[in-house]
Formats: sequence, structure tokens, C-alpha cells
Amino acid sequence: MIQMFQQSSGNETNIKLPFSFIGFSMLALILSQLLILLNGDLLVSGVFRLPAIWSAAHLFVLGWALMVAMGAMYQLVPVAFLTPIWNEKFGFWQFAVTTAGIVSFAAALYLRPQDALIPGILTLLGILMFIFQMFMTLKSQAKPNILTLFVGTALFSLLATITLGITLVLSMKTGFASEYYQAIFKTHILLGTVGWFSFLIFGFSYKMVPMFSLSHGYSMKPAPYVFGVYVVGMIILISSFLTGSHLFEVLGTLMLFAGFMIFTWHVKMIINKRVKKKLDRPFMFALFAIGCGTLIHFATFAGSAANLLAKMAGPIILLYLVSWIAFSIIGYLYKIVPFLWWTHKYSKEIGKKKVPALKDMMDEKLALPLFIMFTAGTILLLLSFIVKLMPVFYIGQGLIVIGAVLFSYIIAKVVTI
Amino acid sequence: MTELKEKIRENLKTVIDPELNINVVDLGLIYEVDVPEPRTAKILMTLTTPGCPLHDSIASGIKYCVLGMEEIDHADVQLTWEPAWTPDRMTEDGKRLLQGF
Repeated sequence: MIQMFQQSSGNETNIKLPFSFIGFSMLALILSQLLILLNGDLLVSGVFRLPAIWSAAHLFVLGWALMVAMGAMYQLVPVAFLTPIWNEKFGFWQFAVTTAGIVSFAAALYLRPQDALIPGILTLLGILMFIFQMFMTLKSQAKPNILTLFVGTALFSLLATITLGITLVLSMKTGFASEYYQAIFKTHILLGTVGWFSFLIFGFSYKMVPMFSLSHGYSMKPAPYVFGVYVVGMIILISSFLTGSHLFEVLGTLMLFAGFMIFTWHVKMIINKRVKKKLDRPFMFALFAIGCGTLIHFATFAGSAANLLAKMAGPIILLYLVSWIAFSIIGYLYKIVPFLWWTHKYSKEIGKKKVPALKDMMDEKLALPLFIMFTAGTILLLLSFIVKLMPVFYIGQGLIVIGAVLFSYIIAKVVTI
Repeated sequence: MTELKEKIRENLKTVIDPELNINVVDLGLIYEVDVPEPRTAKILMTLTTPGCPLHDSIASGIKYCVLGMEEIDHADVQLTWEPAWTPDRMTEDGKRLLQGF
């Protein structure tokens, strides 16, 4: 037994590694939201395809969300699977390569999109290094289950997204496959949003929802249906991009909506079986994000049925990223960051002296104003697309920028406890 | 001997699950406390969720807590998933803290 503890206490990752990722991610979040704020006039008039927005979208998706996911996995995988990270030094190299890739890629998209090829390949290399690291760490430990399928599909979609993205840059530069440019572009966006993020959040939610609500005796039977219906929806929607069939588009969006509904219903079933009656605010915010996701999936289907999807796509993608993806990550990060710091600082003190509880480590008082700010900002953002009024956009996006700064401050404060 | 076991159990109430903020005894995580030979404690415990990222910390917290008692020199903490934890294992105090009534 003593040996077991000595061995397992060596599993903890050097805290600098996950916090490097999280620190960088917060800067990328603030910068991406500032870029959107500064390009509001074009967004409100319906122009989404311009270099500054490409840059902001990639800073947000790669620089923030992907880096957060990587940083959290560096810390959580070793403690959850009782196995040290395969090579910590390699992890720092992976951080350096990925950071250099994302920064140069976002800059290239902003300044000269046709020169984004090398930065894009550098980013791809960084992500491949991460996947290799996780594969080497988990190869003997992980027993595949339904969660492996969700996370595996998410990682596969991420790789496909980047490969298609590099094809887009090549096409822009050389005219390669230019007749398929539109189809590749749409598939790139669909795989990056629905394929990568939704599957990732589904997978992690199945782990975290029962843990944070202390649910017991719930069924996991609906999970394969969520997976099946959602995957089929994604494939049908991609075929609509290739064939131009409106029927496929309606069917695809309907299936995606249906898959998301089953997921929402399943999470509700899990929550109903909870032992912990009073759920904390950050976790409720992550659950609220699921509600937002349901609405957005429905709006996409309704828009497609009314043949208005082409016009609605910009605002829908933006709202999908903010209210489903960002809200989920912010809610869970509020729980995960204290945990990372707590394990680093107090896991060896527990049982010897009084240690703080996890919820004492993050400023809970600031949680409610923060979440209200994000939600109000998003509603105003949506309103500004409908009424096409710049002041509404500036107030809405301004609130989101302030929220991002406040959130970074709250995260930074944890490490002072 | 029974007295010592009770004392160990009482001491373990200082080990608190940092996520739920309830001690491991009232949560019903401690299945068995035994003193098989003088100055040696044996504890059989579980956790609420398999694969809980806190398991390392809580299990070693229990070990340190018992080793901190002057009556004990050796502590053997074993983690088991059989039988699995259920909410019924919580004490009345634990249920009150978690469910707020």
C-alpha cells in the first residue's frame, strides 16, 4: 500500500504544464473577443467571411478552447487513470510548437490568408504531438467505452478539420480543388464546430455531470443513440454540402437537432437521479449551455426548413460558439481550475491539517455577475443581428469582452490561494 | 480495541472530500476500520465514483490522518469498488449536509 501511494503521488503533472496552456488560452480568448468587437460594423451587416473574423474565430477555437482542453487533459488524465504523462518534457515542446503555430496562424489569417500554409502545418504538428502524447500515456490504461467513442470522434473530427483547413489555404493559393472550395469550406466549419466540440463536450459531460451532481443509479443506455443520431446528422449535412441537396440539408439539421435533444433529455435523467440537491452556480451555467445548444440546433433546423440557412449561418455559428461551446467550457473551467491548483497545493496536506474546499478556491460571489454578463451580452449580440444597430452590438460584445477579462482575473486569482 | 477503532473513525471525520465538503465518514466511504495487530490500522474504503480524479488525494489523506494518531505507527489503506458506494451508505448527518434538510 505504501508503495502504491508513493508511486501514484508521482503521477501528478508538473503544474506549470497545464497552467501554461490555460494562461495562454485566456489571452487568446480576450484577443479573439476584442477582434470581434473591432469588426462589428461588418458582422452586423452580415459579412462574416473576412480575414479579421477568420483570425478571431481561430484564436477562439484553437487558441482558447483547444488549449484549455489540452491543459486540462495534461492534469486530469494522470490522476484519473493513475498513470504519469508519457513524457513531460515533450509536453512543453508540444506547448511551444502549438502556441507558435496558433499565434502565427491567427496573424497570417489577419494579414495575408494565402500565406497561412506553414503556420497551419505548424499548428497541425502541435496537435499531432498532443495526440501522440495522450496515446502513449493511455495505451495500456484506457478500457474503451462509450466515452472513448465520443472523445475519439471529436479528435478525429479535429484532425479532419485541420486537414480540410490546410486544403482551403492551398486552394486559395494555387487554385487546387477550387470547384469544391465551398463544400470544403462548409465541411471544415461543420467538423470544427459540431464534430470536434459537440462530441468533446458530450463525452466530458457524461463524466462530469454525474460527478458534480453525485448522481447514482442512472442509465447510460441513451448515450449510443445520442452518438448514432448525431453522427448520421453530421454525415447527411456534409453530403448536402457536396450535392447541394436542400432535402439533405433539412434532414441533416433535423438529425443533429434530434441527437442534441436526446443528449439534453439524457442529462436531465442523470440530474434527476442526483444525491446532491443544491447544484453550484458554475455547474448550473454549464447545464444552461446545454439548453442554449438545444435552441441553436432547433434554430438551425427551422432555418434550413424555411430555406434561410445561408442567410442565418453567420449568426448561428457565432451563437453556437459563444452560448453552447464557450458557456460549457467556462462553467466546467470554473470547477476544474480550482481542482488543478488544489491537487498541486493541498493534496499532500489533506489528513494532516485543515485544507480549503474546492468551492472556497474560486470567487463564487463573482460567478453570478459574470454569468449574467455573458448571457446578457449574447442576447444583445443576437438582437443586434436582427435589428442591425451598431450600439446594440457594441454593448453586447463589450459585455462579453469585459466578461472574458473578469473571467481571466478570477482564474488568475486561484493560484494566489 | 473497539474503543480505538471508534477513535480512528472519529478522527477520520477530519478528512473532508474537497468537492462535496463533507467528511469521508459521514459520506459512507469508510467500509471497515480494523486494528489487526497493535499500533497497526487497516482501513477499507471506497469512493463515490470510480475514476474520480480526487481518489489519490482522499486515500492518502486518510492514511496521513491515521498515521497522525499517537496510537498508530502503521496504516494500510485499501481501496475497493466492491460493493459499490450508494447514497444509502451516508450517515444521517451526511444526508442532511448534502440534501440540505
